Amino acid sequence: MDTFIRAQDVSVEFPIYENSHRSLKNRMIDLTTGGRIAKDMSRHPVVTALDRIHLNISHGEKVALVGHNGSGKTTLLRVLSGVYAPTRGKMEMHGRTASLLDVSMGLDPDATGFENIYLRGIMDGLKPAVIRGKIDAIADFTDLGDYLNLPVRTYSSGMMLRLAFAISTSVEADILIMDEWLSVGDAEFSAKAKQRLDEMVGQASILVLASHDLSLVARVCTRMVRLEHGKIMEDCPIQKGDSMNQRGHQ
Amino acid sequence: MALLAPHVWLALGWHDIKQRYRRSVIGPFWFTLSTLLMVGALGFVYSTLLGQSLREYLPYLGVGLVVWQYIGSVINEGCSAFISGSFLIKQVRIPLTIHAIRVVWRNFVILLHSLPVVIILMMFFGKFPNWELLMIFPGLVILFLQGVWVVVVSATICSRFRDVVPIATNFVTIAFFVTPVLWPASQLGNLAWVAEWNPLYHTIEIIRAPVLGGDLHWQSWVWSLGLLVAGFSFAQYLMTRVRERVAYWI
Repeated sequence: MDTFIRAQDVSVEFPIYENSHRSLKNRMIDLTTGGRIAKDMSRHPVVTALDRIHLNISHGEKVALVGHNGSGKTTLLRVLSGVYAPTRGKMEMHGRTASLLDVSMGLDPDATGFENIYLRGIMDGLKPAVIRGKIDAIADFTDLGDYLNLPVRTYSSGMMLRLAFAISTSVEADILIMDEWLSVGDAEFSAKAKQRLDEMVGQASILVLASHDLSLVARVCTRMVRLEHGKIMEDCPIQKGDSMNQRGHQ
Repeated sequence: MALLAPHVWLALGWHDIKQRYRRSVIGPFWFTLSTLLMVGALGFVYSTLLGQSLREYLPYLGVGLVVWQYIGSVINEGCSAFISGSFLIKQVRIPLTIHAIRVVWRNFVILLHSLPVVIILMMFFGKFPNWELLMIFPGLVILFLQGVWVVVVSATICSRFRDVVPIATNFVTIAFFVTPVLWPASQLGNLAWVAEWNPLYHTIEIIRAPVLGGDLHWQSWVWSLGLLVAGFSFAQYLMTRVRERVAYWI
């Protein structure tokens, strides 16, 4: 079946719980006193991170999400990767999804490199036998050699990133969700990493990439969605070879 | 239910235990050792206080304490199961119950370390278990499952209402003293209902009675099974209602 993402009228609202709203005691008092206090209590502020998003992405599209900080890019990516369920609207996705949101996610500083590879695979839903088959390839890619037998907390930050990168890019997916392009390590490794990412993007049938880097967006993506205050302000195709300020509106 | 994906929580929980004891030689037996010390010290004092023979009292206290430690830490750690797993919950979509069962499993493993030691201690005192010991296997299964719903419920409530965490800690402490762990239920006399209406007592009893070779009252099984069904229904209800909200709370 075809891979697609279909978001209809998707909104995400974050309740902001002050300490008093997190309290069961106050909730109880609330029940017994009723009236005015009760009204104040239940009105905790809400931040609307995404506001009625309509977005259809079909097979073969490489979509760039652009926008200022706080415009809702990362929230939208989290909705796409299934972390946040929309508070309103409907979200349909079809295809195996991999998200590279925070690559150093879940690296346990006290576990060894190998253990981290294994654990991450487990959390990605792979069976132990499958992971064992992939461990060598991932280990090779990191070039960390015997360091992989040491706890991750002994690594330099560059080494840690290499490991995280190798682990998170080892998955195969139809839908690839990325928060910023990953650039890691020294010149040699970063060339290798770039090649790996390009391959990954090439294999995926849908890419959703949030980025501030317009030249990268022009190189990788075929469509651009601009978010502002949680709304889609602009949605247009990117012609290859076009410079960003010449692109036409759809 | 995530119970059906055992390789995930098995691996995660096992990893937690390995982490905790990475730098110690005797590993999880630290727990067992501290329990034994506690059994020794309390047994020495309380057997006199309660007018019990050490030979009868020590095994009783030992089994009770070991099971209690499981119950207590499942409740306490359960409260923070989602809160401490928040960085994972916000990054990858894996069933919430996985985070819960992970907590149960690692405490269950500790229980499985300690229980045999207590039984050996018991035999050292010349008290040998009889064929009724076999009944601890269904008992352990129930104990594990009770843990699952307890953690699901407490983790969910605690991620919404943060002041429930200290309340639960207090509850566990109080429950410890009013549940027949330190003292035998038979000494309650007119207050027998304190034990009979205490589900925690019955939960302990389905392990303790078979180990000690005493008669297991059918009431304990009825209570345990009833609690299990009620608890799972409630956990299920909570999950269907707020499963999608938890990511917003933590």
